[in-house]
Amino acid sequence: MPKPDSNRIALMQGTLDMLVLRSLLLGPAHGHAIVKLIQQLSDEALQVDHGSLYPALNRLLKQRWIAANWEQMPDKNRQARYYRLTSAGRKQLTAEESKWERLAQAIAKVMKRRPEEV
Amino acid sequence: MKLWPWRGRRAAREQELNREIEWHLNEIREEREAEGLSRRQADHAARREFGNVAIVQEDSRAVWGWTMVDQFGQDLRYAFRTMKGNRLFTALAVLSLALGIGANTAIYSFMDAILLRALPVSDPESLVVLRWHAKPIQRGSFVMHAMSGSTFGDPKSGTTSGIFPFPAFELIAKDTPVFSSVFAYHPARELNVNVNGQADLARGEYVSGDYFRGLAVAPAAGRPISPDDDRAGAPPVAMVSFTYSQRRFGGAASAAGQSILINNIPFVVAGVTPPGFFGVDPAAAPDVYLPMHSDLVVETANQFGARGQNYLDQNYYWIEVMGRLRPGVSILQALARLAPPFHHWVASTAHTDGERANLPELKMEPGAAGLDSLRRQYSKPLYVLMTLVGLILAIACANVANLLLARAAARRREIALRLSVGAGRSRVVRQLLTESVLLASVGGILGIFVAMWGIRFLTLLLGNGKTNFTLHADLNWHVLGVAIALSLLTGVLFGLAPAIQSTRVNVISAMKETRTGEHGLRHSFWQFSLSQVLVVGQIALSLLMLVAAGLFVRTLSNLQSAELGFNRENVLLFELNARQAGHKGPEIAAFYADLLRKFRAIPDVRDASLSNYALVEAGWSVGIEIAGKETDIGNRMLAVGPGFFRTMQIPMIAGREIDEHDQLGALSVAVVSELFARTNFGDQSPLGQHITIKGRVNGHPASREMQVVGVARNAWYGPLKQAVPPVLYIAYNQGFPEPGQMTYELRVKGDPLRMVSAVREIVHESDALVPLANIKTQAAEIDQTINQEIVFAELCTDFAILALVIACVGLYGTVSYNVARRTGEIGVRMALGAPRGNVVGMILRQVIVMTIIGLAIGVPVALGASKLVESLLFGMKANDPWALGGAITILLSSAVLAGYAPARRASRIDPMIALRHE
Repeated sequence: MPKPDSNRIALMQGTLDMLVLRSLLLGPAHGHAIVKLIQQLSDEALQVDHGSLYPALNRLLKQRWIAANWEQMPDKNRQARYYRLTSAGRKQLTAEESKWERLAQAIAKVMKRRPEEV
Repeated sequence: MKLWPWRGRRAAREQELNREIEWHLNEIREEREAEGLSRRQADHAARREFGNVAIVQEDSRAVWGWTMVDQFGQDLRYAFRTMKGNRLFTALAVLSLALGIGANTAIYSFMDAILLRALPVSDPESLVVLRWHAKPIQRGSFVMHAMSGSTFGDPKSGTTSGIFPFPAFELIAKDTPVFSSVFAYHPARELNVNVNGQADLARGEYVSGDYFRGLAVAPAAGRPISPDDDRAGAPPVAMVSFTYSQRRFGGAASAAGQSILINNIPFVVAGVTPPGFFGVDPAAAPDVYLPMHSDLVVETANQFGARGQNYLDQNYYWIEVMGRLRPGVSILQALARLAPPFHHWVASTAHTDGERANLPELKMEPGAAGLDSLRRQYSKPLYVLMTLVGLILAIACANVANLLLARAAARRREIALRLSVGAGRSRVVRQLLTESVLLASVGGILGIFVAMWGIRFLTLLLGNGKTNFTLHADLNWHVLGVAIALSLLTGVLFGLAPAIQSTRVNVISAMKETRTGEHGLRHSFWQFSLSQVLVVGQIALSLLMLVAAGLFVRTLSNLQSAELGFNRENVLLFELNARQAGHKGPEIAAFYADLLRKFRAIPDVRDASLSNYALVEAGWSVGIEIAGKETDIGNRMLAVGPGFFRTMQIPMIAGREIDEHDQLGALSVAVVSELFARTNFGDQSPLGQHITIKGRVNGHPASREMQVVGVARNAWYGPLKQAVPPVLYIAYNQGFPEPGQMTYELRVKGDPLRMVSAVREIVHESDALVPLANIKTQAAEIDQTINQEIVFAELCTDFAILALVIACVGLYGTVSYNVARRTGEIGVRMALGAPRGNVVGMILRQVIVMTIIGLAIGVPVALGASKLVESLLFGMKANDPWALGGAITILLSSAVLAGYAPARRASRIDPMIALRHE
């Protein structure tokens, strides 16, 4: 297991599913790529645990928000399981995004208040 | 294994996941290799980075919700495997549960049928049975001067009865604000019913005109009896029951409108009652319903039967009354409304101050379940049986608990091992629970079969050849449910306790455990473990059952060996009623005498006679006067034919018996029993004394004076459980009372039933319209009168044996388990020179200690409990030393026997092999 890194933030409960959906918005990707994408998109700030990625992918599959297929990897002589967003997944992502935004703003409001204002 | 459809999809998913994880590990490894790590280092890095593969698999699987189903299947398979591994013990536990559940359900189904079921009529809850209650009745000072029916009660609480004078019924029926209908009924006993020239006996019931409207019973065919039919002089109509219409008329539709003869009187069948309707008494189930007032014509054949004045007599109690409450009226309101007018009326019927001092008071009881004659007869025995089967279930549950305890203890190491390799605690508990629930479920399912079989068996046993047995019990699913739930609860409770306990095992120390001794259990031979407590409980309960069986078996054998005073073997009994077929006056005696002559001529018939009742069914008397004084009311009578005492082999002590010369017109004679002579004549010789019997015939006073010509030894008279009364035997054909129905007694060589066809032929030739009834052997008749005791003794014995077997299984299991656990220790003892006998003794001592503790608990309880069943016993006290001693002996020896097998096995332990386990 990767060592705890002070620069990296542990993911909040339930946000991984949203991040996975978001990363797939760029196009189909396999599991390893999804991990890397999330890390890159967060400027290496978010650490995705493999142990939670696969349960998350299975959760999304079960909800039919994503679909999976074994396909040829472009640069290797090997097949990988590629995940892509379904239209239901896209809708879900929009919903999650707006929910997340409202939550983030609300949290920001609370956190940015100066002490005397409380 | 393609047992479940989702297994295929699940396997594909599993495969896909494994492939993907494999692929992912490969990806990371390649990346690390590209970064310059060696293959091995890269491999390590990949595994480190990816994390615990098993957990990823488990969590991903969990997303799809497979685990529960999956694990349950696994648990189930595992449970079946362990059950197969312990075949004997499992079989016994399951079997004892099945028997416990089945027996409880069967007995309760009968209780339900007898004690709890409502009449099959609409809105039975609004029916009310009318009764009266009076303080203990002083003879000669009570408003009820004569009666036909039954009263019950005891000297302390007084007398209760459901019979009323007809004017009282009219009084109540007139007052309509509380009842929408009031109706009456009166049993007609057996009627001679002649359909198309075929005569047969049927059970009859006289009902008032509003009976069918009041019960709200719609006929299956034709019309019901109406108030218009129920008046003197109305054209005689009858209603027949559905089963009777099928038996005699070939169906309900063809019965309606038919002309028939009842006691030789022409009747028309007006209608047929619906199937399932049995009147108001679950014990009676009449075949034929007649309008009340038709008894005036039907009973002309019966010299003591109904007369017009019965309907006017205010002191003659004979009809039973039921009412249907108007909607919104409660039983208490109805009683409050009717009690004062009834009291007023009954006070007007009292003639003396003595009668006025103890007037019957009106009572009302819910009538939903019909009359309670069955309930009175069976409720106590059924409660006793219910208790016994409840105990069986308790013993069976204790066995299951014991089995589970032993298994859990034996599997401490296995469980510790599973915990140490990372099995979840809840998973292990679930696994153990699955086993116990499976055990209980299999027991429950088998229990259903046992219950169904038990109900059939009980119906057969209780019916015992009675043609009019009306009881019908259905499998009661509620009870079955409760019994199964109870066994499940036992399974869960005793499966759970050791399951949780065993998961608290200190993994390391449990793994280190060897067969020599488990920590904390080393001295449990002398410390009571839970399983030993259960065995002690089983022994105590078994003792109760054995004592019960002992008491009832002894009661039965007392009844069977009761000094009857006559020889019950090789006697054929049957009843004839020539009067109902139209024979009258002096001719009837000639008809009976002629038949007797013909019966005596049948080859292998040694002797024959007749009497107005069979001895054990008798219970009859009219007023008896000696020297102008009325004798004690306890005296009883029997009208007998010539050679009665010779035929029944009742020895004569003095004088002669009644013979062929005692005819009408000759000197009227009587024989008295020893007891009658002693109670009525004291030290005087009864021979030559005069006795007068008095009564009424067709409403007119009648009497007959007789001379005592003989004294007979006491012979049983009436039901076996009652004391023999003083009996006056009179010649049946010397005037008052004229012979009506007679029972013939044929003493034969060999099997009495061989004579039946010859008897039938003779009767048919003499008069085809006289049906033969109640043909049976004297021995069978006695058995029938003590049927309840026979059934009881049989069931109790069966139950006690069952309890004993189950308890011994428990004992055997516990001891074997202890022996197995202590193999090492026993090996050491023997290696150190302990003789084999010592080892056997050591183990048997444990068995005996457990048994004695069980007995110490059981004996006082048994002594207390046996008092509760005292009224069901005969010829013995509740704390019968034989029953108790027998039970203790049986229990002790069975326990030693059950313990001996494992003890012997322990003594055969080879020290070398036992110690090698170390």
